[in-house]
Amino acid sequence: MKKGITLTATLALALMLVLSACSSSGGSSGKATKVVFWTFNELHQQFFESMADKWNAAHPDEKIKLVATTFPYDDNHNKLQVALQSGKGAPDMADIEISKIGNFLKGEPQLVPLNDIVEPNKDNLVMSRLDNYAKDGQYYGIDYHVGAEVIYYNKEILDQAGVDADKIITWDDYEAAGKQVLEKTGKPMTTVETTDQWSFWPLVVQHGSDFLDKDGNVTLNDQANVDVLTYLQKLVKEKVAVVAPGGFHHAEEYYGFMNGGGAASIWMPMWYMGRFTDYMPDLKGKIIIKPMPVFKQGEMRSSGMGGTGTVITNQSKNQELVKKFLDFAKISKEGNIEIWKQLGFDPIRTDAWTDPAMTESNKYTDYFGKDIFTFLSSLKDEIAPTNIKEKTPAVSDVIKTKAMFQALNDLKDPKQVLDDAAASIK
Amino acid sequence: MKKILYNQRVAPYVFVLPFVLSLAIFFVYPVISTFIMSFQEVLPGQTHFIGLDNYRNLWDDSFYTALWNSSKYTFWTILVLIPLPLVLAVFLNSKLMKWSAFFRSTLFLPALTSVVVAGIVFRLVFGSLDNSVMNTFRHAFGFETINWLGSSASGMLVLVVLATWRYLGINIIYFMSALQSIPSELYESASIDGANTWNKFWRITLPLLKPISIYVITISIYGGYSMFTESFILWSGNHSPNDIGLTMIGLLYRSGIEKNELGLGSAIGMILLLLTMVLNVIQLRLFGLFRKED
Amino acid sequence: MSTKWNRPQTWLLLALFVLFAALSVFPFYSLLLASFKPSKELLRFGLNIRLQPELLSFHNYSFIFSSGAEKYLVWYKNSLVVTVIYTVFCMLLSSMVGYGLAMYRFRGRNIIFLFVLLVMMVPIEIIMLPLYKQMIAMNLINTFSGVILPFVVSPLPIFFFRQYAAGLPKDFMDAGRIDGCSEYGIFFKIFVPLMTPAFGAMIIVQALASWNSFVWPLIVLNSGEKLTLPIGLSSLVTPYGNNYDILIAGSVLAIVPIMIVFIFFQRYFVSGLTVGGVKG
Repeated sequence: MKKGITLTATLALALMLVLSACSSSGGSSGKATKVVFWTFNELHQQFFESMADKWNAAHPDEKIKLVATTFPYDDNHNKLQVALQSGKGAPDMADIEISKIGNFLKGEPQLVPLNDIVEPNKDNLVMSRLDNYAKDGQYYGIDYHVGAEVIYYNKEILDQAGVDADKIITWDDYEAAGKQVLEKTGKPMTTVETTDQWSFWPLVVQHGSDFLDKDGNVTLNDQANVDVLTYLQKLVKEKVAVVAPGGFHHAEEYYGFMNGGGAASIWMPMWYMGRFTDYMPDLKGKIIIKPMPVFKQGEMRSSGMGGTGTVITNQSKNQELVKKFLDFAKISKEGNIEIWKQLGFDPIRTDAWTDPAMTESNKYTDYFGKDIFTFLSSLKDEIAPTNIKEKTPAVSDVIKTKAMFQALNDLKDPKQVLDDAAASIK
Repeated sequence: MKKILYNQRVAPYVFVLPFVLSLAIFFVYPVISTFIMSFQEVLPGQTHFIGLDNYRNLWDDSFYTALWNSSKYTFWTILVLIPLPLVLAVFLNSKLMKWSAFFRSTLFLPALTSVVVAGIVFRLVFGSLDNSVMNTFRHAFGFETINWLGSSASGMLVLVVLATWRYLGINIIYFMSALQSIPSELYESASIDGANTWNKFWRITLPLLKPISIYVITISIYGGYSMFTESFILWSGNHSPNDIGLTMIGLLYRSGIEKNELGLGSAIGMILLLLTMVLNVIQLRLFGLFRKED
Repeated sequence: MSTKWNRPQTWLLLALFVLFAALSVFPFYSLLLASFKPSKELLRFGLNIRLQPELLSFHNYSFIFSSGAEKYLVWYKNSLVVTVIYTVFCMLLSSMVGYGLAMYRFRGRNIIFLFVLLVMMVPIEIIMLPLYKQMIAMNLINTFSGVILPFVVSPLPIFFFRQYAAGLPKDFMDAGRIDGCSEYGIFFKIFVPLMTPAFGAMIIVQALASWNSFVWPLIVLNSGEKLTLPIGLSSLVTPYGNNYDILIAGSVLAIVPIMIVFIFFQRYFVSGLTVGGVKG
């Protein structure tokens, strides 16, 4: 019965052969330098690929070959963390979403400081957006967008209720208008998230505080935070606001609800425009974008929310070249205009906002009208910054899982909820 | 050569060799390394030992919530996903069952459907709006709209429904394959002795399904405590209101990966490992799996 | 269970199965329907399961096979390669180990069995980092070998084969020895055929597991041309909006290979096929 053992041996050998045959890594690079890029959004990949073509056309002597891969969101960050932690296998460039950046700034960041490409452009960049990716004066990431917080009104519903959006200046006005909308149309003025932070965070920041202070200490339960949460809870109690169907503003159920004219307004960052154009087709032409109301006159009317920074890892063998390319793609004016054209984001370079190219028609201008950036320029100096620190992942976790739900769904005492939340962060 | 091939003392070691090799090459180092990490604070470029701190720090509210959720989930899945597929498999195996092949395939279909995408449908079916499928269903019986994924009890119900939907077909396969090894002569002679269907099921089918039932229970305990995907998908991420969907692996993932505290994550992993191990050893001892004459 | 069914009982049972089947198929039905509609329609007014013939088209599918989505076909091919290689070797190696553990009494048997259970219970998430380092050391990063090798001797099928073999009569071993078979001959010639239903079940379950496996391939594979289907499909889902077009139609198509495996191998554990073999 040798057959058995021979068979096994043959199979084992075949296994080795078959598997080793698969393991050759492709990479036919000519003169061009290979630059590996990981992201979690295929649109970001397409953007960088187009920028690589433009770069090669402009720099024939320094050509690059961009090898970009889109991974699932969470896993893009896990993979990068694992690769940086173990010191091997990381790409040259990678996208890190803002809520994850805290993990990469812990200890000694395994990323390349970008100060020499950032500092020459300081005057034209919304610097608060770069502070999010900084530690000890070193900038490690370049964001795609400002993520300016705005409020989207459904004009059709407001008109039915006889409300003029331009007359809503303060949150008190907003509440009053909300009551009018509820009374005339039976619809809620807005929706609030119970398992995410976008309903709460911008208001806190515009009210002059944040979850963490500049030094990274927890301020989640200070007076401004409590005021904002109390206000949101009041809206819910008065039925002016309802909790977002599906729990947050990116739930499938939510898109259907809003698309059917479920609520009269929603405040989200500029990048939420893409959600309207893609998932709420029936609201085309009915949505108007306005500045956020304020709690007190003189407070800022917007804030920078969300974001994704492109970083260069210290494992890159061509750090200088990759830096130049990143400068070209995301800091130059040309690059910033492309970010709007291709991705529909409000780019971080303000002198791009006034460029004629920004009014050319695309799916966003078709949906929201042509003066998006004229409007945004008026808010230029009123974009409140956020503090993104090492504890940000922990804070955003407790906000998403406990605080919002307890205050806005279970209607528990806001002060108590925030005290508990702050205490749970070590 | 011939001697070796016929040697009954050597043969078992040859048979288990692949496992021993795989264990030595791919598991010993990672598991030991994880064990060591559980005593460390692991930071990029700055790893150092902190003794038992990780084990001290892990006993917080989230840990108990996760443990309780995972235990409840394991309990319910075992309660539903053992008897139900067993009985269905017996029916499907019966020669008199109509359209058996059709039902086998349809019950297996969910296991094939991508959970990422099926999650979309489940979230919409169990949506919080009045017009979601399950709320419409409630209205038909005079109940009011509820937020299915908002409270602990209904959230757990949806999780168990999702698990049943996904794994029913797979467990049916296990039981059906085991039913094939029961010789039909046993049933025939029992019939001659005047046993009815019920007696035959109780006296022949069940006892002979014991080895496979032990297998299914064991992997259910393990699967229950390592559940993560279902929760992740139902709440579109590792964050559910009041942590009603937080599981042990979810907690491990949150500490080790999302907050990048690999040391703490490793400690949670070690506790989880110990827990499932103890539960399974107890269970296997109860069924006498380590007895010599099984 | 070969007693005659009374009519009402039969119908009751049938009704029960129809109910179970309907519940099983419902989510799939909504996806199948959605895959033939423009993706926005699925979400437009909550879950939309009306047939709406005027909206149905093959657009999503033709998009998958167009150049715009060529990566989908690459993922598909990679998944097929990994699944086939994995399943074949997993069956061979795991059945050997399971059989060895069930049929022989030898020193270290219980210890090895305990280790089988232990490995089964180690969550991949906790050994990810060290195992990744090891893959780098062994030069297996971004290779299919790196995806397959660490898990090809898999504890779950070992356990299953052990349990299955434990239920088989040991007399066959002695009979085989008397006939002059070697120990391995007994396994391949007598017990492999006896375990056909177990192989049928395990091929389906393990092919499915490999086809759907996500966490580990994702850590090992680095480049777009190596990604497998579940990773690729998940990359279409982001916190900033999902690409429902490829996602839904793509995951419907992803069912096909495993459905074929299922239909082909399920006959090995359907009544009446194998009992005769026991006497062989």
